[in-house]
Amino acid sequence: MSSATLYSVSFALVHDVLFALGRAVGGPVGAALRNSGLITGLALLVFAGILLIASLLNTIVLIWYERKLLGRFMDRRGAMHVGYAGLLQNFADGLKLFRKNTVRPREADGLGFYFGPTAYVVTSIVIFGVLPISSGWNAGALPLTLLLALTIFSFAPLFIFVSAWSSNNKYSLMGGLRSAAQMIAYEVPLLLAVVAVVVVAGSFDLTTIVYEQQNYWFWGPLVVALIVFVAAMLAEMERIPFDLPEAEAELVEGWNTEYGGMLFAFFMLADYLRALVGSILVVLLFLGGWTLPTWVPSAATSFPLAGILWFMVKTYIVFGLFVWVRASLPRVRTDQLLRVGWNRMIPLALLSVFLAAALVTVRCVPVFGCVPSLGG
Amino acid sequence: MTGPEAETATEKPGDHPIAFVARPMATAARQFAKSLLRPSTIVYPYERLEDPRFRAEVAVAAGKPIGVGPVWDNYRGVHALNIATCISCNLCAFSCPDLCIEMVTVPGGDPKHPKKCPQIDYGKCSYCGFCSDACPEGCLTMTTRYELATPKRAEMIYSPQKLLEVFEQKLPMNPIRLERPENEDAVLLDPPLCIGCNACARDCPTQCITMLDVPRPDAKAGAKLPKRIWKEPVVNDSDCVRCGTCISVCPKECLFWGARP
Repeated sequence: MSSATLYSVSFALVHDVLFALGRAVGGPVGAALRNSGLITGLALLVFAGILLIASLLNTIVLIWYERKLLGRFMDRRGAMHVGYAGLLQNFADGLKLFRKNTVRPREADGLGFYFGPTAYVVTSIVIFGVLPISSGWNAGALPLTLLLALTIFSFAPLFIFVSAWSSNNKYSLMGGLRSAAQMIAYEVPLLLAVVAVVVVAGSFDLTTIVYEQQNYWFWGPLVVALIVFVAAMLAEMERIPFDLPEAEAELVEGWNTEYGGMLFAFFMLADYLRALVGSILVVLLFLGGWTLPTWVPSAATSFPLAGILWFMVKTYIVFGLFVWVRASLPRVRTDQLLRVGWNRMIPLALLSVFLAAALVTVRCVPVFGCVPSLGG
Repeated sequence: MTGPEAETATEKPGDHPIAFVARPMATAARQFAKSLLRPSTIVYPYERLEDPRFRAEVAVAAGKPIGVGPVWDNYRGVHALNIATCISCNLCAFSCPDLCIEMVTVPGGDPKHPKKCPQIDYGKCSYCGFCSDACPEGCLTMTTRYELATPKRAEMIYSPQKLLEVFEQKLPMNPIRLERPENEDAVLLDPPLCIGCNACARDCPTQCITMLDVPRPDAKAGAKLPKRIWKEPVVNDSDCVRCGTCISVCPKECLFWGARP
């Protein structure tokens, strides 16, 4: 496990630059530049900036990845003209949306119309601040990162509903209502599935949860929780087959009917940011995060940034699974969606909590081994 | 099947709910594996259908390739016009459903009979192929050329000379020709209506109509003979190309299609 983390690298960068500057300037200004509080603050800013750019870049690449994968599922090629294999197509699309005029309908409510998408995309970006991507990501102990991430994640229906309602359009409102009903219905099994993981790992800290998976990844014994989590996450991300809120055949474009230009780009971006967060959460909770099984030769994990690399590989594979589901399944009806949510998902999630409790009671499972905190 | 029968037919007994998810996902995965290396898309500006590599891929269900020519044998692309054999019969313009063919004068005819050949507006053309089906001399055919994009609309109008250039490229051509039905294969005359005006003989592109004298009937006392030229058209059937020009120019509508006598 390499000791250089993103924060330590940015800290060293800021430290070296400021010390060189301070030595060159000299005097009281130079001493002020070498202040540790300033260095820490700037290092945090650099860290946050790198994180922001990395998450946005990843999101855009994720859209490209989905387009290419969907193309293969449909026996075609997807974007392929702009950049190598169409890699820059989404940047071009983003640039186009950026240049477009933002039109607000006359009857729409101005505050909500602009606040909704902005808050939606901001809350989606904020989640990346608490998700550990490799070891030593969070400098201090953040005991409740999982809860914090899920809390911010569940703000979404509020903002969607605000933007849908303030659009003053019947399709938007219907989409917003559907979105609220769906997200509230699937929030419960999602959290219950997470409870199963938390029961086994004994912590709400995502880093600790990943370290508890060093003997076996949780998807094996907690496969029921994984299924519930993935299905609920699909509904939370509003992806096919649960994309009722923006069912384009019935609701034009759902809650973002009235949005164009950069505000539409915000929605699009936030959707894929949330898809990325969903994939990352699956990897963190069930697939061992940035760790690899012990039988993998250490050369695969010992080079610099290996943790981030394996984490990204896993994340993209998980997102590929979501794309596979999207390519295969038709959209469900509202009644089917809610029936599955309340009648199937919640009992399954409770079952998974029960299984997790059983796992903790027997402490060690024959095939998999033991979780460290339970005596592994 | 309609109505309730169709409803019940889709739900087979013994279908587990998991199968509703698993079966389409297996189908999608199969498709993914099949097209992972090479999807069916032919990346057009870089690859072309006439590339022999795709000959095997463009195949009908029976496994018999249909792409035997550069594209298809019966592909309907730009027209080729052989001006030398064109008889200016007007049948192509007559059969065109989009009215995109105009007969324009080309050099080569005598002053009394100016030679007219089709000029095609590809902005309107729907590539139905009726014109080449109708052409009695086989001089207007459709080729496999399909790239017509041009920055100006005026360039979409192909003059006979431009169509001749296409002909001279010797592209594979669509050979389909329609025969006239047997019961309207010959030009027939309704003699009492004819006034001997010579319009049919004058306009016949193959000059197969001759005006022959008809005996002037003996006028009875007091009766008036009809005012006409005492000649009647006779069609040389072996030269006739069944273009129907004579029928369309006849002022008295006394010529018509009919079964060969």
